[in-house]
Amino acid sequence: MDKMHYLFAAYMAIWILLALYLFSIHSRERKLREEIERLKNILDKAE
Amino acid sequence: MHKIWAIFRKDLLIEFRTKDSLTAMLFFGIVVLVVFNFALGSLHQAVRSAVPGVLWVAFAFSGTLGLNRLFAVEKENGCLQGLLMIPADRGAVYLGKMLASCFFMLIAEAVLFIAALVLFNLTVRNEIPWLMLVFVVGTLGFTAVGTLLSAIAVNTRLREVLLPLMLFPVILPILINAVEATDIILNSADYGALKLPLTVMSAFTIIFATISYLLFERVLEE
Amino acid sequence: MSGKAQYRLDILLGILLFAGMSFALYMALIGAPTERTMGDLQRIFYFHVPAAITGLAAFATNFVSSLVFLLRKNRRWDALALASAELGILFFCMVLVTGPIWAKPVWFVWWTWSPRLTASFILCLLYVAYMLIRKSYEDPERKASVSAVFGVIAFVDAPLVWFSIRWWRDIHPSPMLETGGLDPSMRPAFYACLGAFLILFLYLLRRRFCLETMRNKVDGLLLRLDEMR
Repeated sequence: MDKMHYLFAAYMAIWILLALYLFSIHSRERKLREEIERLKNILDKAE
Repeated sequence: MHKIWAIFRKDLLIEFRTKDSLTAMLFFGIVVLVVFNFALGSLHQAVRSAVPGVLWVAFAFSGTLGLNRLFAVEKENGCLQGLLMIPADRGAVYLGKMLASCFFMLIAEAVLFIAALVLFNLTVRNEIPWLMLVFVVGTLGFTAVGTLLSAIAVNTRLREVLLPLMLFPVILPILINAVEATDIILNSADYGALKLPLTVMSAFTIIFATISYLLFERVLEE
Repeated sequence: MSGKAQYRLDILLGILLFAGMSFALYMALIGAPTERTMGDLQRIFYFHVPAAITGLAAFATNFVSSLVFLLRKNRRWDALALASAELGILFFCMVLVTGPIWAKPVWFVWWTWSPRLTASFILCLLYVAYMLIRKSYEDPERKASVSAVFGVIAFVDAPLVWFSIRWWRDIHPSPMLETGGLDPSMRPAFYACLGAFLILFLYLLRRRFCLETMRNKVDGLLLRLDEMR
């Protein structure tokens, strides 16, 4: 039964990795969205 | 065919005039051997079984040094453009370059092997033709991939850093089989067992030489 | 695909993913019977092996899209190749983390150089090299074709690595590796987890792919801006 924490650690590791990855995708997405907005604004003004 | 030969000869001419990369390859290989001599200092009896690994690590490191220079020389002298403009397909450039780097590596390997014989107190006699066969096949495989990856690395920011990072994982089958084959020759003399590693290495060489030949133009395109 | 259809697909995949993952977790942790010798520790297997299979699927996707890119030169395939390589690394990270956690109490070592472990590790390194190539090229066109070439090489190399290591290491057998067939009572949990991981893969692949198309859009806008000046 004392081996239970290995099981716990393994599942936690998977979820942490996944969460980190999702977070990184999300923040990259947000940055790009802001960038697109910014560029569109500049283009609109220029036209 | 003569185009491949022309590129091969050009590289040899340049190298024998400057001797830049051959000196570097030899010196670095010998340094590796010396370092291993210290690292393995404590196990004097078992040294013969460690020699195949040590040898191929030295070959691979010095070979990487040579591959780094292979296209960097062209780039620094502004000859990469010229090389791309010659009236031959890129595959010929690849094969010429590959043969040249293979030739340099084999020279370096011969010297390093003799150095290893002295430094590790080995005696070989009948084994030599077999060893030569393994060295040639292993080096062909090494440079088959190495030439392509060298061309990839030369156009990047990281260059010398990137090449070993790409090369070593890819080249692993060659290293494993070459070490194994060398070990068989030096330590068991059961030459029948050489068939498997030699087959794997030849298959590796043929597969990757074909892929590289076909895809080389995509690596060096404008 | 229109924006609305895209949005619907997102929702659908999200629901599927949530349901699949919950079911898989339930099956793996509670539904499946407890293994006789290893006890509850064996439950790591239900996430470990599907992650490995999904990782391999990701690398295969990378190989196929690299090949198609080399033939067609369409940037969408390059984006797909990048997305799948990144996901392959993610899944293999999961494999390489859960593996030692399982091995420590069962084999009493974190790591042993057995064929499977070594090969997974090398595979991971190959695709890290792939990502490094992508990082160090400036020009997007060349980056795409060069990394496609490396993607092809890496995937062709993988079986060679596997066979060389396997043959070489078989001289020093690693007896604890082969578990034999999976007990029928454990199969439902295994397939549930495999299904959940494949949905997860598709979901992440889509997200990552969209991210890359957005990046291409930014590049396009920047180009337009340059032309106006």
